[in-house]
Order: sequence, then structure tokens, then C-alpha cells
Amino acid sequence: MFWRILKKDLRRKKTMNVILLLFVVLSAMFAAASINNIIAVNGGIDQYFELAEVPDAVVQIQEKCDAEDRIRALPSVSSVKTEHWHAVMSSKVFIYKGKPMNNFFNPACIMSEDEMAIKYFDENNDVITDVEKGCFYATAPFSQDMDLKIGDQFKMEVDDVQLDLKYMGRLKDALSSSDSASGPMLLFSNEDYDAVADKESLNKIYFEALFVDSTDIQAIRDIAKDYDYISVGTRQDFKSIYLYDMIVAYIMMAISVLLMITAFVVLRFTIGFTISEEFREIGVMKAVGISNGSIRALYLVKYLAISVIGALIGAVLSIPLSGLMMKSISKNMVIKNDNTSFIGLLSSVAVVALIIFFCYTCTRKVKKLSPIDAVRSGQTGERFHKKSILKLSRSKLPSTQFMAVNDVLSSPKNYGIITVIFTLCMLMMMLMSNFAVTLKSEKILWLFALPESEAFYFDTEDLGDVMMDQTKAEPFLEDMEDKLKENGMPGKCTMMNVMQLRTKHGDKEAKLTCMLPIRTTAGYLRMDEGYAPMKADEMVVTISTLKSLDAKVGDRVTMDINGEQRELIITGRFSGFYTNGAILSDKFDYGNMPAAGTMGVAIHFDGAPDKETIRSNIDKLNEIYDTDKILTTSEMIKNMTGVSDTLNSIKKMIMILTIVVTALIVVLMERSFISKEKSEIALMKAMGVSNGSMIAQHTLRFGLIAAAAVLLGLAVIMPLGNFMFSKICLLIGDVSDIKCAIDPLEIFLIFPAILITVTVVGALLTALYTRTIKASDTASIE
Amino acid sequence: MSTVLQTKGLCKTYIVNKHQNNVLKNIDLSVEEGEMLAIMGPSGSGKSTLLYCVSGMDRATAGSVIFAGKETAKLSDKEMASLRLDEMGFIFQQMYMMKNLSVLDNIILPAVKSKKTKEKRSQTEERGRALMRRLGIADIGDNDINEVSGGQLQRAGICRSMINSPSMIFADEPTGALNRASSDEVMSQLLSLNEDGTTVMCVTHDPKVAAKCSRVIYILDGCIVGQKEMGHFLGGEAELRDRERELNNWLLEQGW
Repeated sequence: MFWRILKKDLRRKKTMNVILLLFVVLSAMFAAASINNIIAVNGGIDQYFELAEVPDAVVQIQEKCDAEDRIRALPSVSSVKTEHWHAVMSSKVFIYKGKPMNNFFNPACIMSEDEMAIKYFDENNDVITDVEKGCFYATAPFSQDMDLKIGDQFKMEVDDVQLDLKYMGRLKDALSSSDSASGPMLLFSNEDYDAVADKESLNKIYFEALFVDSTDIQAIRDIAKDYDYISVGTRQDFKSIYLYDMIVAYIMMAISVLLMITAFVVLRFTIGFTISEEFREIGVMKAVGISNGSIRALYLVKYLAISVIGALIGAVLSIPLSGLMMKSISKNMVIKNDNTSFIGLLSSVAVVALIIFFCYTCTRKVKKLSPIDAVRSGQTGERFHKKSILKLSRSKLPSTQFMAVNDVLSSPKNYGIITVIFTLCMLMMMLMSNFAVTLKSEKILWLFALPESEAFYFDTEDLGDVMMDQTKAEPFLEDMEDKLKENGMPGKCTMMNVMQLRTKHGDKEAKLTCMLPIRTTAGYLRMDEGYAPMKADEMVVTISTLKSLDAKVGDRVTMDINGEQRELIITGRFSGFYTNGAILSDKFDYGNMPAAGTMGVAIHFDGAPDKETIRSNIDKLNEIYDTDKILTTSEMIKNMTGVSDTLNSIKKMIMILTIVVTALIVVLMERSFISKEKSEIALMKAMGVSNGSMIAQHTLRFGLIAAAAVLLGLAVIMPLGNFMFSKICLLIGDVSDIKCAIDPLEIFLIFPAILITVTVVGALLTALYTRTIKASDTASIE
Repeated sequence: MSTVLQTKGLCKTYIVNKHQNNVLKNIDLSVEEGEMLAIMGPSGSGKSTLLYCVSGMDRATAGSVIFAGKETAKLSDKEMASLRLDEMGFIFQQMYMMKNLSVLDNIILPAVKSKKTKEKRSQTEERGRALMRRLGIADIGDNDINEVSGGQLQRAGICRSMINSPSMIFADEPTGALNRASSDEVMSQLLSLNEDGTTVMCVTHDPKVAAKCSRVIYILDGCIVGQKEMGHFLGGEAELRDRERELNNWLLEQGW
């Protein structure tokens, strides 16, 4: 009998059962894909470094010396591999579509296939073992701002040699493939490399990298101290390359969590909803003497059958979804989860368990209900626990609108949950938009510890001399200011150079990324504690620096500058995108030490020029300096972070996902509501209410909750965006009190329009089904 | 007296599992203005189907239905809905109500939906309350539908059917779910409506209800097999008993 009732139930309530099955598929799919994503992101960089066989330390040598021999001789060193690179000083040696390239920051490095000491990967995450003659791979910065495709042809002109080269796609180099402002690495075939390697213009800078496995990094550092142009980086140091890629990964993780919450809310709601429809049958079963346990078992078995089928389908579908989500965060990294199928299966088991748990809690009421209560709950108005606050007789709303509003208000739990789901969908789109806009917004200039400026000069080809000899910075900036004045756009030019300086506090030592302001004080910094450095022996640091050195504001530290030990006092703590960061005073004496990098020349035009004037000033300057590397502040930030475009593509993916999820929820929910309200629909039709009016009422109520979700989303997006972005930034940098930027067009117009349109169209199309319900169906309703 | 409703060769066929079921077979019927017509017959004979087909709640498979001079088969869904809203009233055996509206709101809903009159919402409310007073349920207007008795709800259903002053009321076993006292009350209200000039067509199993009607049609296996003119019921227990006896005898002749 038990199985016969179950079989009949599955067949008779086909629509609701199919709807539930679809929601189970959806939940299992999102759960599996999201868990996969979270696992992959969490161990992301470590796993990538393992795959790429990144050693314990990488020693970069820019001058021929005997350091390699000394390191090899260390007893703690178990293996040393070397790579030799050649530096391409100007991007213009590459000709693309007849024009010299000018998109990436110099210098670029080239390396031959035989030199590969660690594992390099192609776009498909396959290890590159060899490179065909006439072909090359390049890391992300090479294709910056260009839409390069595999197979694109380039010419390389080096002195008297010209090479025809085919682009084979993105090179994933664990140590230098981030999008952010750095020079690209290119991988050549042996033949092509040999053809240019001895040319004078590629031999201006010597590059050698040692990949060392050692149990004693300090011993290597001690050797490095004896040379001017050697730096030692550990795995931990190289992780900071992926600062911005990890922002994308963590954002994706946050989105995954939201998706999972959405799926489970929908599932819990649907189960509760379908079981409430069974109360009449439950009442009848109780009336004929079937025990509570048997009744609950019946529903548990039914939901178990549906959930097992749904979860298995969901697990299979999660594999492509997981791949899609992962693709966007693994542009520069090899992030993969080899356990996709296993996790998919595990997630499906979890979904089944959760469904059974939901079902168990939902059927708890069976125990409490008397047979007659259960029968009546299925038949009369008792299910409407809340009396509507609206009265048709006193309302000024037209009847259709009134009925729609009244439906929503008299069933607050159902519509409230859908509103929450829609709000979550809306927030997913909004958050992605805010993050993408923020990571190219002038609002976050302070995170890079840069002064307020309208333009940035970034041509490292020109700035190379200044970096090598920082005493040239002052005259360079003065000359630039003169040129600005001569050309009718007076302004102030400042510069921020970067040096990697080893610093000690007690027995703690750390290599700090020190920023040296030139022609500007650091008074513009956003200080969390203390004050900006004013004297030559003062500096401010980030919180991670304080932790690394086990120091506090007011402590004195010792900095190693070209072998000279200099004492500095920490005057404050600042917020910024720098792990182990420090900012020195503009009066700091750096001796003759070259800069390791530069944040470019910041140009602050006099007055307060509008955007058009700034644009025209920049165009003029690009002409004067024969470059196109003078950027607006937002372009500079976009280049620095390098993830804005990635986030934009994720945003598009999320938009498609949101449209699909919203449409599915609307269609399935509206179909469920129609099933549940069949008697009301038939009654209204019997009264003479037209199909059009019926469809309008059903569409309008979904439109109303979409509008409510939009308002709710708008109300929480700013605090939530700021909170989430701050939390994400905190995971990777020393940042506090960050405010997200917004794109008003997207936030206030495009996203609300998408949500409302998808909802209204979905509800309208589904509501057309009410046409099939006849007025005479009033007689055949249970 | 003019004809309000007329059917010619009305057929209704359902196909279930490839099996054809002819529920109504060539029904010819005329209902005159002001008439109170009862349709009787055993279960499954096609009484309710006939009611639904003539009221436009369901479409006939063949034949024609002319209501208030309009052939309903030629009307679009929208026109048919409008005709039902403005010119027809319905009373069901079960007290079907919109569960999230108060009793008064349920009653005035058809009036609010109708474009027949352009009265203010307050005027509609007053009309609704007046009808409720007339049917003796004035004090339950603001109650939810689960707060009132079945008899009260059925009377609210009658109010709803009357709110647009229809030319004809269709009642499908209006007293089927009520006790005798409530049933008598409901029937006296229907009679009162009929006295005011509203045509009533009522499907019933109950000879006591049918005995109050002016004409009774007996339907069997989808065909009208007999009809009995009963004359106007003037009221009074004695007359009712006589009419009931007369009707029961006739029903026995029909195979009841």
C-alpha cells in the first residue's frame, strides 16, 4: 500500500514534483560548483607553486658574479637550476599589424625553451615542454589592452635581425604572470632565441635567475648581501605578485557563497511549499489510521527519490559550471581542482542529506495536526495565517493592482523569501560591478600611497635612467614641470620610487617594499596610527610590516642600505595595498642606490581641470614625449591592479547566471503558485475576470517583489560592498576603511532593469498558463 | 416574457484516455425571463455540465447557446468573461471564496472588476453592505472567510452573485453543503431574488429545493427526458408540501 500511495503521488503531482526536481538539480549544481571553487581558491597559489615546481628561493642576479658558485657550495642547498634571460628594453621592437607595440611596460624578458628551470603552462594549463620555431608564448602584460588571439603574427626587429613570430597564447609563469604593471616574459624557441640573443640591444641588462631548493634561506641571503644587484625571493615573497588575482579569486568565492545560499533558500522554500500542499492528503491518511511515522516515512521516501535523482543530475551539471567559474580566475594562474567529480558527488550527498533534513523538519507539523486540522488546512482559508492589511472596499487601487498587492501581503513568507532570493541575485551583479569599478577608480589612489594627481607618466624606457640613478629624478621632474608650463598646462610633478630594503628589529628581519617620495612629502597618506614621516630618519609602515618585525609605532629599526646600517624610527601605520610596505621621508638619503621600480611620475595640474582638459593635456604630453604611456589616474590604477577587465568579464558571467537563476526561479515559483491557486483562478474566471486581468495580476505581483528586491539591494549595496571589499582586501593587503566606487548607470538603471525585465517576462510567460484553467474547473477542485 | 437563454442541439463530449464520453446530447432548452428553473437528475447525468455550458464557464462541443440575444460560441474569451461578469451570477455548492479577502471584499470584487457602472469604491461598498443586510449577514463584512459559518459563506456567495445585478443567476447545488435551516434560508433568498425579476437556473438533488422552482427539468445520460411546469411558488408550508409530493411522484415516473 505504501508504495502504491507513493507511486500515485509521484504521478498525480507531476508538476510540483518536476519543479522540486529542477530546484534540487539547481541546488546540487551550485553547491558542487561553489564548493569546488572555494577549495580551489583557498589553496590556490600554494597549489600553483607546487605544480610549477617553484623552489624554496629564487635568486635574481643582474650582474655577472660568482654568487651562483657560492650558493651551490652551501651544504643546505639540495638543488640549483638556472635560467638566463635577455631584456628587451622597448616594446617597440615588436611590430603588430604593421605598427610598433607600445602597450606594455618595459623591459620585457625573453627566454629560450631550453632554459626553462621550472614548469611553465599554456592557456589550457598544460605544461609547455617545447616551443616550435617561429612561435612564442608571452605572459599577461604583453597582451595588455590588446585583444590578441592565438595565431596572431608579429615581427621582432632587433638591430639587424628580423624575426617573424606567431603568438601561441598566454604564458603562465608562476613568478611573473600577473596582469599588474610589470614587464612581460616571453618564451622563444631555441632557434629564434639564438638568432637575437647576442644582439647588443638585448644585452644592456644581465638577467640570471637561480632556482634554489634549500633548508637555509638565510645562508643564501647572507651571500646575496655581498653583491649590489642580487635579490632573494622566497615563495612567500612571490605570492604578493598575485595580490590582485587573489582579489578576483576571493570575489568569486564570495559570489559562490551567495549562490549556495540562494540555492538552499530556494530549496527549503520549495520543500516547505510542496509539503503544505499535502496537508489534505495527510489529514485523510491520519483519519484512516495511518501512523504519523508511516506518513512521514512516505514523504521522506518521496523526497529521497526526487533528491537522489536531482542531486546526481546536479553533480554532473556542476562540472561545466565549475569550469566556467574557474576559467575567469585562472587567467594568470593554474588553479584547478582535480577532485571536481569527487566533490561534485560529495556535494550531491550533502544536498540529499539537507533535503531529507528539510523534509523532516517540514513534516514535523504532521505530528501536531489532528486529522481534521490537516484536512481543513488543505481546503479552507486557514493557510492564510495573516489577515491582509488591505481592504478592497477602502483601497483606491484598481482591482488588478489591488489583487496583486494583496496576494503579496497576505502571503508574506512566500513572497518575502522570493524577495530575498531576488535581492541576493541583484547583489551579486551589483557587487561585481562595484568591485570592477573600484579597482579602476581614482578613489583608491590612496591604496597605492600615491599623491592626488590627474595623470601618470609611466614610460620606463625614459624613466630607466632615473631609476638607476635616483639623483637624476629632481632635474627630470623640474624639466617636466617646465615643459608643462611652456605648453600652457602648468602643474606639479612628483615621483615615487620603490626599493626592496632588508630591515631588522631586534632579532626579527624582513625585506620591506619601501616607497621613496621625491618632491613630495607623504602628508597625503591615510594614516591609521601616528603621523606621516617628516624627517630623514622617519618612516611609516603597514600592519604586516609591524607584525613581520614584531615592532610597534615608535620603535626604531635598522635598515640595510647598500651595506650601510641606518637607524629609522617608525612614526606611524598606514593603509595600502602593500604587504610588508614602508614609506620613507622625502628627505631620506638613499645614497647611490638604484630604485628597483617606480610608480611613475605623478602629474598634478594646477587649478582643477575638468576631465576633458585633463584628456587633452595628456594627449599633448604624449605627443611631446613621443609616447602613449601617459595615463589618467584611473587608467594607471587599472594597469596597476590589472584585474578590472577580468572582473568585468566575471560580471558578465554573473549577469548571465543571475538572469538564468532569476528566470528559473520566477518560472518555477509562478508555476507552483498557479498549481496552488488553481481554485482561486477558476473562481475568478467563473466570476467573469478576463484572462488578461488574471495574467496581469500574476505578472504584477512578481514585478512588485522584483521592485522590492531592487530597493532592498540598493539599500544594502553600499555598506555590504564596503564591508565585503574591505574584508577581501584585508585577506591580501593591509587595508582598512575602504569605500567602493559605483557605476550609477549600472547600479541604478541597468541591473534593476535586468532583474525587473527578466522577472516580469518570466512571470508573464508562465502566467499565460492560467489561460488553460477553465471557469468550470471550480467544480473539479479538491 | 422574453427568452433569456436558449440552447439548440447542445452537445458536450469529453475524451478521456482515447475514450469518447458524450456528457450532453442534443440539448434544446429555453429559459424565459423571470423563470426559476431547477435541473435534476442522478449523479453523472450531466446537470452541472449543462449549467457550465449554458453559462459560458465551459465551451460546448456542438450546438449553440444564445444568452441575452448573443450566441456565446461566437464571443471571444474576453467578451464571454465580460458577459459573465455583468450579466450572470454564480453560486457554487462549495463556498468558494478568495481566501485572502474579507467577506465584504469577496462580495464586491465582481463589482470592482466590472465596467458596467462607474460608481465610486465607497458606493460599491455600500451596495455590498446593503446586500449583506438583506441576506442577514451585515455583521460579518470585515471578517476573514475562515471566521464565519458555511451558511453565512453561502449567503455571502449569493450576495456576490447579485452584486452586478445580473439578468440570470446560475446555482450549482447551492444548498448541497448546508444543513436544513441554512438551506431553507438560502432558498428563500433565491426565491426573493426571483420575485424581484432575476432569472434563476439551479442544479439540485434536493426535491425540497426543486419544489420551490417554477419549472423542473429532469436530465438522464445527457438528455432531457422530462420537464414539469410547477407554477409560481407563493410560499407557505402547505403549498410546499403539495408541490413536493407532486414533484416526487413525477420524479418517480422519471426513474429517480
